Amino acid sequence: MRLLRYFLFRLLQMFPIALFIVVINFALIHLAPGDVSILLAGEGADPEYMQSIRESYGLDRPLHEQLGAYLGQILQGDLGLSFRTREPVIDIIAERIPATLLLAGTALVLASIAGVAIGAVMARRPGSALDTAVTTLSISLFSIPVFWLGLMLILLFAVTLRWLPSSGMVSIAGPREGLGFVLDVVRHMILPVTALAAVWLGQYVRLSRASVSETLAEPYVTTARAIGFPERRVMTRFALRNAMLPIVTVLGLELGLLLSGAVLTETVFSWPGLGRLIYEAILSRDTPVIMGAFLIMSFTVMLAALLTDLLYAALDPRVRL
Amino acid sequence: MTPTAAKTLRATVASVPGALSLAVFLVICATALAAPILGLPDPADMAFALYQPPSAEHWLGTDNFGRDILSRVVWGAQVALTVAVGAALLSILIGSALGAIAGYFGGWVDGLLSRVFDIFLLIPTFFLILLIVALFGASLPLTIVAIALTTWPRSARLMRSQVLTLKSRVYVQAALAAGAPHWWVIVRHVIPNGIAPIITDGTILMGMAILTEAGLSFLGLGDQNLVSWGSMIFEGQRHLRLAPWMSIAPGVALLLLVASLNLLGDSINFAMNPQLRTRGGAPKRRATTAPPAGETAPAADTPILEVDDLRLVYHAGARRIAAVDGVSFTLPRGGSLGIVGESGCGKSSLGSALLQTMPNNAELTSGTIRFDGRAIVLGGKPVVENGRSRIDALRWTRMATIFQSAMNALNPVTTVRRQMMDALRLHKPGISREEATARIAEVFAMIGIPASRMNAYPHQLSGGMRQRAMIALSLILEPELVIADEPTTALDMLIQDQILGEIADLRERLNLSLILVSHDMGAVAESCDVVAVMYAGRIVEIAPTQRIFGNPAHPYTRTLIGALPSLTGPLEELESLPATDTAAAAAATGCRFAHACPAATDLCRRAAPPAVPLGAGHVSECHYAEDFAAEPSSEPHAAPAAAKEARA
Ligand code: SF4
Repeated sequence: MRLLRYFLFRLLQMFPIALFIVVINFALIHLAPGDVSILLAGEGADPEYMQSIRESYGLDRPLHEQLGAYLGQILQGDLGLSFRTREPVIDIIAERIPATLLLAGTALVLASIAGVAIGAVMARRPGSALDTAVTTLSISLFSIPVFWLGLMLILLFAVTLRWLPSSGMVSIAGPREGLGFVLDVVRHMILPVTALAAVWLGQYVRLSRASVSETLAEPYVTTARAIGFPERRVMTRFALRNAMLPIVTVLGLELGLLLSGAVLTETVFSWPGLGRLIYEAILSRDTPVIMGAFLIMSFTVMLAALLTDLLYAALDPRVRL
Repeated sequence: MTPTAAKTLRATVASVPGALSLAVFLVICATALAAPILGLPDPADMAFALYQPPSAEHWLGTDNFGRDILSRVVWGAQVALTVAVGAALLSILIGSALGAIAGYFGGWVDGLLSRVFDIFLLIPTFFLILLIVALFGASLPLTIVAIALTTWPRSARLMRSQVLTLKSRVYVQAALAAGAPHWWVIVRHVIPNGIAPIITDGTILMGMAILTEAGLSFLGLGDQNLVSWGSMIFEGQRHLRLAPWMSIAPGVALLLLVASLNLLGDSINFAMNPQLRTRGGAPKRRATTAPPAGETAPAADTPILEVDDLRLVYHAGARRIAAVDGVSFTLPRGGSLGIVGESGCGKSSLGSALLQTMPNNAELTSGTIRFDGRAIVLGGKPVVENGRSRIDALRWTRMATIFQSAMNALNPVTTVRRQMMDALRLHKPGISREEATARIAEVFAMIGIPASRMNAYPHQLSGGMRQRAMIALSLILEPELVIADEPTTALDMLIQDQILGEIADLRERLNLSLILVSHDMGAVAESCDVVAVMYAGRIVEIAPTQRIFGNPAHPYTRTLIGALPSLTGPLEELESLPATDTAAAAAATGCRFAHACPAATDLCRRAAPPAVPLGAGHVSECHYAEDFAAEPSSEPHAAPAAAKEARA
């Protein structure tokens, strides 16, 4: 009950943000140099198509009406047409989402679990040589440009050692079903997931190290030790349980950052996801697709923030309206 | 450079990562600045030697156009640093200004701006920058502005919280009272004082800006007229198989620069808050000792607790602070002892030593603690018997503690009933659910917590109820000795008195032995038979309660009970003595209290006073103890009551 009310409240709060993002998008197209209709239809589009774009966006009408029309379109899930393929942007994007989810999701799960575990262990011996070394290492990890790390992994494992495929999600002549297909995808995933997870791992180790060592200094941990709980239990039930709260918050807030890493990784590995799509759109100056991708990414991040809020509220009984 | 900045810098360089990252960063800056005079070939010069691997002529090889990669990497450093400094500065400028305004004016201005900060946190900034650059055309200045426009809320949030704490400071208030205009106060007083954490964050911001620019360039959105590391990798990618060196070198450069910035920020942060690096942690393994030979079985009149010459030292960097400096006392079974002193006198350290819950930087250097005749600490080391430390066998079943619940002593994410259940089942693994529930209900009823509150979380209880829950938790296993550390601090007067009364009551009903640690004379007067006054790590006076209020034999005790206010000035002055002062007092020769004692003489400053026995368990460490004892405090018999009134 408490959670439901909280969820609805947070959901309501998201509307102005969504509106803000749409307005930014709208403002940017109109501020950008060049004719809006050319931006949306593509250079050298035939006059007929150009005219249909003008009409559907209401480009001859005053600005506020245009904004209204634009909002209306987005509410209907209409993000325009790609001028490269003339397909609806929303369909093109939807097609790419599963691949991105698979890549980013796997890396996220691996990196966060390993990161929290390593960080928690380091928090037990703060200031030790190992702790300093791990901290330095994890800072270095998230200082690596993820696309470069990807290239280096390709260079080592695909080009030099020839152990793993360097690009794509499936082999061209590989199996299309059953276990063989799954294994094929897994083989293709190893390098991009490693690149992405390595960079995030650095973030999570730092985050969890800071957060767990903070909770270990809390009075309730001293109480737990005075009661006589074994240190393992103090660590899990008291320290980690409470440390999860800030960890979850930051996880949610940094999702935008994570997605940008995913886009760059996909580009390197020609992973057929959203990132690859954005890259192709940039190369062919396909503005509607870039705009649509920005909107979808923004809404995804908002949705994730909402889910983390909910998770936070479930973890922390102090959260109330 | 201000003294604090110099100190921070020194502390930063003192750590290996700090020194190393600063060095790397400075070398990169110097190389970038010196690029024109290094005698490198023009980065755009196309030689005929395409795809040359690294050689004596081209240290890092050449690319697909035959351009020298070393030269391009060096010139690329200029671009990277321009982006870093430009974007970070602009972002901090916008952010600090808006953050200062939000924090300073508060009200709806703050509400609105904070909302904007929050919205920006939720926007995936990389994609927004990407969209801006894609729409407006790739150029370095635009990239810098776009990065600043999307990252400024970071600095804004930091500045806002800084300003909120600074606003109430005396000098800001004074400037305002003197008629200074708002903008002047913000620019002159608020921003300079609040900028430190923002500058630290600036190094992180610089790293982010560099990575963002590199990412954009890698996607083909880099400035075509400049050599940037990101665009070098973008080009190198296509020739990865043929000329891997094309992408290796700029990537290594990126990694070095960004890592040095991030490490530098981290080191500065730790230098400014050294406790961040070492606080918390699991209890460290300490040297233990075997039980002493010839221990006799406890008799009926064996004291529940005997402490002999206990010494506890904190290590803070190279400094050693003797927080407990030779404390001895004996608590008979069923007795109650109050330990009183100002904050920093070592009373809480003493409590943590008795419970063996000291932080890792604390160490017992000597002393014996006996519980019911059996040593649990011997020569400062915990006694281990059959592979288990004796104190662990006593925990909560025979010796429990009441912490100050206002300070998060209860786990905030677990219901109080659950916390009691966990403690009960830990020590009585076989207990059934029903029995356990019955026992919890019994204790709750005894403490006066309504059964309806059993399933509440700590934050759902009022201050008094929460403290009662803590007391209930401590009594769940029927311990013999309870150590209460400031159990009523931060509660309002009425509730304080109620809870003290309840503790005294419970003590009698359950025949508990009690140690009550408090800064408040009145609090111990009510519930303890004997009072020990601590100052700078030592018990300077100990006596039965009536005695210590009637004939205080130590000037410090007299200040504490307010019997000598005219001689020493108001009590608050003493209470606000910082802990370091007491530490300095402990290190001085002569009497520890001499620096503040109204009756100090040359003898006091020269020689430490002996423990003077005054009969009936009354001991005072003062050269003139006998004289003071002979002179009763102003209202001898009404004293405890008077002290209590004085508190109210
Ligand atoms: S020994 Fe001297 S300085 Fe110390 S308390 Fe007594 S009178 Fe004061």
